[in-house]
Amino acid sequence: MDPKLEPRPVPDTKKCISSKQYLTLHTISDAHHSDIFALAPTPVSLLSASGSSSIQIHSTTSPEFPLIQTLQGVHPLGIHHLVTAKDARRAASAGFEGKVKIWTEGEDGQWVANGEIRDGLKAGNVWAVALSADGSYLACSSINGKVHVWSLHEPNMPKIREYETKGNFGLSVALSQDGRFTASGHENGSIYVFDNDTGRLAHSLASLVHPVRSVVFSPASKLLAAGGDSRTVALYDVTSGEQVANLSGHSGWVLTLDWSDTGEYLLSGSHDSKAKVWRIETRTCVATHSHGDKPLWSAKWLPKNTRSEMFALGGGNNTINIYREAAG
Amino acid sequence: MRSQGRRQLPCPHQHRTGFVKLSLSISLLTWSRVQVIAQIESMIQKVLEGLSNSNQQISISLQSRANITRKNGRGAGDPASVPPPKNILIKFPGSNVQEAWRFTVVIRILELIHSSLIDDTIMTKRDMYYRHPDLFMKQAVVDRYVDDLACTFGVSRSMLNVVATAKGLIAGNFILRRQDGACIHGLSEEEGLLVPKLQAEDLLELDAVRWILVIEKEATFRAVLNSNQWRVIGSQSLILTAKGYPDVASRKFLRYIADEHPHIPMYALVDFDPDGIAILSTYKHGSYRLAHENVSNNQASGLRLPELQWLGVQSHHITNGRADRKLADTRMLADTQGLMKLTIRDRHKAQRMLEWDLCAEGGLEARWRVELQRMLMFNMKAEMQILDEVAGSLVSWLVSELGISVGAASQRPATRTAACVLSDDELLF
Repeated sequence: MDPKLEPRPVPDTKKCISSKQYLTLHTISDAHHSDIFALAPTPVSLLSASGSSSIQIHSTTSPEFPLIQTLQGVHPLGIHHLVTAKDARRAASAGFEGKVKIWTEGEDGQWVANGEIRDGLKAGNVWAVALSADGSYLACSSINGKVHVWSLHEPNMPKIREYETKGNFGLSVALSQDGRFTASGHENGSIYVFDNDTGRLAHSLASLVHPVRSVVFSPASKLLAAGGDSRTVALYDVTSGEQVANLSGHSGWVLTLDWSDTGEYLLSGSHDSKAKVWRIETRTCVATHSHGDKPLWSAKWLPKNTRSEMFALGGGNNTINIYREAAG
Repeated sequence: MRSQGRRQLPCPHQHRTGFVKLSLSISLLTWSRVQVIAQIESMIQKVLEGLSNSNQQISISLQSRANITRKNGRGAGDPASVPPPKNILIKFPGSNVQEAWRFTVVIRILELIHSSLIDDTIMTKRDMYYRHPDLFMKQAVVDRYVDDLACTFGVSRSMLNVVATAKGLIAGNFILRRQDGACIHGLSEEEGLLVPKLQAEDLLELDAVRWILVIEKEATFRAVLNSNQWRVIGSQSLILTAKGYPDVASRKFLRYIADEHPHIPMYALVDFDPDGIAILSTYKHGSYRLAHENVSNNQASGLRLPELQWLGVQSHHITNGRADRKLADTRMLADTQGLMKLTIRDRHKAQRMLEWDLCAEGGLEARWRVELQRMLMFNMKAEMQILDEVAGSLVSWLVSELGISVGAASQRPATRTAACVLSDDELLF
C-alpha cells in the first residue's frame, strides 16, 4: 500500500501539542422532539430538521442562541435532509414523504417557502440534497441511483442534468462551491464525480466497499472527502480522481462531514456519537468530542465571524451543541 | 379487576362464579347464533325474491373492511376508533364473469355457515376451502368473504362458528385444566403446544409465570425452546409465537390472559424491520380488516392488547452501547451478517406506516416513528437473530433484558428470581 495513504504516525507528545481545544459554548436542549437529522448554518442562524415535521431556526448572533422562527409542519412524515447555500439566502429540505422544498430568507430575516421540486420526482425516490454556494443549483441523489441537478434561478426550476449510475442507492450527494462538479456516494461504496459543464462522468473513484453516507467538496473544490460504514474518511483529488489520504480513527459509521471555511480542517461525526476535527495538512485528528450516546447525524462548522471558530452537533439525543475554539 | 383468588386452585366460591359465567355465555352464544341464522336466512330470502320476480335485480350487499389501511386514519390518537366499513354490492349475473363467480362464492359460504350454525358445529376456514377448492380457487377467497360476512352481520368470526386453523404455538410453565378433566402442563410439551381455544369452563393456571413473551418467528421460538437456558426461562414464563402476523386465536388467547392476569407483563420480540413493527401493531392495536372482531366480541376490551411492551429489536440493541466497547467489538459489528439493506418494498411500507395515525407526530406510538425513520436513514433492517451476534446469544440477551425489565417495572419477588437466573446462568451447563 502506498505509504502516503496511511495517516502519518504522530508521537503522543506531539499529538498533544498539535491538538486543538474546543469548549461547549451553548446547548439547545430538546431542540426537536425527535432525532435531529440535519443542521444547516447561515452567517446569522442555524436551521435544523428532524424526524418531526418542522424546521427550527436559531439565531447564532446572540449568546443565548434563541429560537427565531419555526417553519411549522412542512414535511409531515419528518425531514431527512436540509441544506443551506453557502453564499445565498436559500435552503432546501427533503422529507420522508418524498418532496423537496425550496426556502428563501427575506430581507427581514424570515424564511419563506419558495416552491417545490416537482419535475420527474416519484414519491420516496429522492434522498440526499445539496445546494451550490450561490444557491442557483440543487443536486439530489435517489434510491434508484440517479443523480439529478435542477436550476433554481430559472422559472419553474427545470431539471438540467440527470446522471445515470449503476442503479445503487445514492445515500449522499455534494455540489462543489463553484458549481462545476456533482459528487454522489452510494450504498455499495461507489463514489462518482460528474462534470456539470459537460454533463459527463469525470471520475468513478476507488470504492470504499461499504455504504458512503457523506461526500463533501473542499471550499476550493480541490479535494473530495467521503465517509461511511468503512469508519474512515477518504480524501480524493478532484482533478485526478486519485485517493490522497485515508483518515482513520472513528469506531462507528461516519454519518456526516463538513469542511471549515478555509479548508484547513474537516469535521466528521459518527454513529457512535463522536465528532472529530481533522487537520488536513497533517492528516491527523486534533480533537474528539462526544455527543451523548445516540447517532450523531449532523456536524457543521458555523461560518466564521468575528468570534473564534465554532461548530454545531446534532443527533439522536434531540439536542444541538455549539462548540467554540478555546482562546490561545 | 378480578381478585387474586381466581388464579388459585378451585375453591367453592370460584366454582360458583365459574358456573354463573358459563351459563351466561351459553345464553349469549345461543342468542347470537339465532340472530345470525336469521340474518343469513333473510339474506337468502332476498335473493329468492329476486329470482321469482324477473324485474328485480338479484344482489347481495356486504360490508367490508378489506383494503382499508391505517393511512390517514380518522380519530388520530385513539387507536380504538376504526373507519366505517365500505359497502359492496355483488350482483347476479352481474356485469362480468368475475362478479357472477363472486356471487356464487358468497352464496356457497353462506350455505356452509348456515349449516354449521344449525348443527352447532365448528368449521375451520381450511375445511371450507377444501369443500370446493375448484370454486374458491384459493384460501384467501374464503378468508376474505367469511370476514366480510362477519363484518356485515356485525359479529365476530367465531359467532359464525368459523375458526381459523390454529397457527400459534405456546410453551412455558402453565397448566391448562380442561372441563373434561384433561390436564396439560406446558413444560411437558417439548415442541410447544398449539394455542388452545379456551372454553369458559377451562382453567389456565399461570401461578409460576412472571412474564409473557410474544415472539414474531417460529424459528426463534424453537431456538428458545431448544436452548440450554430454557429450563430457567421456561420455568417462569409463557412464550407464544403466531408465526408472523397473528391470527385471531392467538390474539384471543393473549387477551384472555391479560384480562385474567393483568399483573403479568407482556413483551414482544419482533424483527427490526417495517413488518416487525406492523406485526407488533397487529398484536397491540389489532387490524382494521378484522375490526368487527374487536367490537362485537362481548369483552369490553375486544382483541386489542395495549399492555404489550416492545422488548426489541430496536436500533439501539443493534448498535448502541457499542461506543464504550473496545474497537474490535465495533469492527465486528459493522460486518455483522444480520444487518440487511431495506428493499424497495420495505421502504414503501415504512413510508406508508409513517402515515398511520399511530405513527403521526404526536401519535400514540412515537417510538415506532423514530425507529421507522432510523431504518429509512440507515437503509437497514435486522432480523432478531442479529442478537446472537451482537449479544453473544439471543437467549442470554432475553434473560438479561427481561431481568432488567421486570426489575424496573415492579418490585415483585420476580426481580430477585431474574437476578438469580443471571448469576447462576453458567452453572446450568
